[in-house]
Amino acid sequence: MPRPPSPSIPEKEFLFSSLKESLRLDGRQPLETRTPILTFGPDLGWVECAMGKTRVLAQVDAKMVKPPPERPLEGMITIHSEVSPMAGTEYEPGRPSDEEVNLTRMLDKVLRRSDAIDKESLCVLAGQRVWHLRLTIHCLSDSGNMLDCACLAGIVAFKHFRRPEVEVVGDEVIVHHPSERAPVPLSMHHTPFCFTFAYFPDTDTAPVIDPSYMEQRISAGLISIALNAQKELCVIQKAGGVPLSEEQVLAAIDIAVNKAVALDKLVTKRLEEDWKGRKVEVR
Amino acid sequence: MATTFILPGERVRAQHVNLKLGPGLLQHAENDQDTKIISTKAGELQHSANNSKWWIEGNSKRYIPAPQESVVGVVTARSGDGWRVDIGSAHPAYLDGLAFEGATKRNKPNLKVGSLLYARVSLAHKDMEPELECFDAQTHKAEGFGELKGGFMVRCSLKMCRLLLNPNHFLLPLLGSRFPLEAATGLNGRVWVSSKETKHIIAISRCIESVDPDGGGMDEAGVHQFLGTLDI
Amino acid sequence: MSSRVEILNDGGYRSDGRRQYELRDISIDLSPRGTADGSALITHGLTEVMVDVFGPKEAKSRGQSVHDRATVSVEVGIMPFSTGERRKRNRGDKRVLELAASIRQTFEPIIQTSLYPRSEISIFVHILQQDGGLLPASINATTLALLTAGIPLTDYVTAMTCGVHSTTSLLDLTILEENDLPHLTVASLPRTGKVTLVTMETRLHAERVTECLKIAGEAGKILHKEMKKAVEARTQKLAQAMEMAPKVAVVGGGSGGVGDVEMEDEMDT
Repeated sequence: MPRPPSPSIPEKEFLFSSLKESLRLDGRQPLETRTPILTFGPDLGWVECAMGKTRVLAQVDAKMVKPPPERPLEGMITIHSEVSPMAGTEYEPGRPSDEEVNLTRMLDKVLRRSDAIDKESLCVLAGQRVWHLRLTIHCLSDSGNMLDCACLAGIVAFKHFRRPEVEVVGDEVIVHHPSERAPVPLSMHHTPFCFTFAYFPDTDTAPVIDPSYMEQRISAGLISIALNAQKELCVIQKAGGVPLSEEQVLAAIDIAVNKAVALDKLVTKRLEEDWKGRKVEVR
Repeated sequence: MATTFILPGERVRAQHVNLKLGPGLLQHAENDQDTKIISTKAGELQHSANNSKWWIEGNSKRYIPAPQESVVGVVTARSGDGWRVDIGSAHPAYLDGLAFEGATKRNKPNLKVGSLLYARVSLAHKDMEPELECFDAQTHKAEGFGELKGGFMVRCSLKMCRLLLNPNHFLLPLLGSRFPLEAATGLNGRVWVSSKETKHIIAISRCIESVDPDGGGMDEAGVHQFLGTLDI
Repeated sequence: MSSRVEILNDGGYRSDGRRQYELRDISIDLSPRGTADGSALITHGLTEVMVDVFGPKEAKSRGQSVHDRATVSVEVGIMPFSTGERRKRNRGDKRVLELAASIRQTFEPIIQTSLYPRSEISIFVHILQQDGGLLPASINATTLALLTAGIPLTDYVTAMTCGVHSTTSLLDLTILEENDLPHLTVASLPRTGKVTLVTMETRLHAERVTECLKIAGEAGKILHKEMKKAVEARTQKLAQAMEMAPKVAVVGGGSGGVGDVEMEDEMDT
């Protein structure tokens, strides 16, 4: 298995020394994220999110299925994410790497297990018909911090998506085509966003948010925090890596809280802009 | 000379008694009398002043080694008496321990895994591993080749490093007028730069990235303006 | 879905009769098993985890070895009989892989890997019974197994879960409580009080987290005492066995065992 060549000694040394001076290679401040660029596709629920050169495509579709007997009142959500070698040479098809496992699990935790989507509202006819939402995440290119980008793409895709209107008459379910009745947005409890911080071996070096590819490669530990604009933490993930003091963890949470509020505004604005530019034909 | 853009499969009317074809051109014989020269990649068609040498200058990112080109590489492993060096090509290159100025069996430079090198491709054959050397084979003088210490390595497209090697290109002189800098440009899309101050290196790196035709393709005026926004 | 079980009753007792901050019964068995270089069995109440450590040994394949340090590989096996309903998890299960990855990443910076270049340290985690606190039990057992294998660590790693029930925090959750409450798993280094692993999966207000982190850190210190006691007891036993053996001059006699432990402690700190 050829491992990608790790950054050379001069590169590492230079990055460490520049980070120590709080200078980042792309000119950002240590606690400055790349502004995500959201592009909406022609279909509802088709979102491409770009943070610098990191790009992730998310797509949602819905299907009517019979619910499993143990949860007759809830809709289903499945997330498909696979990091293909397209995203970067270090990803291989077949056995998932640690990064890929982490990405899949985090997406599952942030988007599905955090109760972002009201699953009960996806039920059409108890025990008979529920909506099955399928989110597919395509990682197009990895230039650092793919996790945050994928989470953002996923959550925005859910917010952007609208499912067809349904009507229940007796035991029959009528699905209205989007051209007949306006499709309805999903009912969401909250909007979680994920933020990743990278810590470096030298404890004097300040952590950076939204690490670039190189920063991620030379970092000694990452902490990912998913939370919504209401200050509710959904996921904290710091799997090993350099030990941090409690204060450092809490400081990271504080920063993430502020970033989440700003990001929430941006996402809402972009979604509104897109919705205004969209014509939904209703006869 | 006006540049002609060319697409793969187009016929090139290159004629010379002593014709030499460079990358991107293929001689294609349909029958004995009629030999055609066609292009195999997209880019700018270039030829030497006397029309004897023709080649296509494209902009790719993957480096294909060619003899006598200088490259910047990273040592990835020791192997035998030499080192295996990543130069961004399909296969790792081999650098012999004796291919340095003044190197003997006993006195070899001590390169660590992860060291940066400025070297010249001495052998590039499609069926063999590329080989590197860190001296001039005739004179056995280093001539600037060898280990690169400190500084930083910037990655760019192959077109960008050809531009940087062009003495008429504006970027390096412009940066040099602002602060002292050292640079070693490899033809494999890697540029090693060094300067006293961290922020200067960052500025160089960002300028190269924004001038890169693959990225922003910024022009001279744009760089002037860009440098103004940086704190240097 | 609220469960029928009352998490915390009016008297301040939990469903299994524990108080808010009371930990479950911990037992540690460090006796060697099989061919492993170090092994440990730990139980937190009904959760039971066994860890075997092999190494440092030659890396299995050349591609895996790193030229300047040892690699750590972790494999987690969840026994099919470990849960109420018998269920086999295949090795590719993302949850199991994540567990393994978290254990590996937790111990990589703690093990002094740079002492053993080009070698491998393999950790095999067997989960025999699960009743909540899988990750903390695995981490605690791995620490102990690495210690018995004689692999140099910079510190102990102790882990604990902390849940929040409305406004009160609870320690060491059972699976019942884990399913109902938002909870935090914290792995900390008792010497410096720093945390190496924090994971949380359910919604919790930011202000609650502070308290949880603190309490889980405190619990880690208690665990550290227990674990140290077990390691000391084992070292003493080994020292005694050396005394029984042919009369080679053992320095210090009976107190030699204690001295050994102290020395080990000094090396730790």
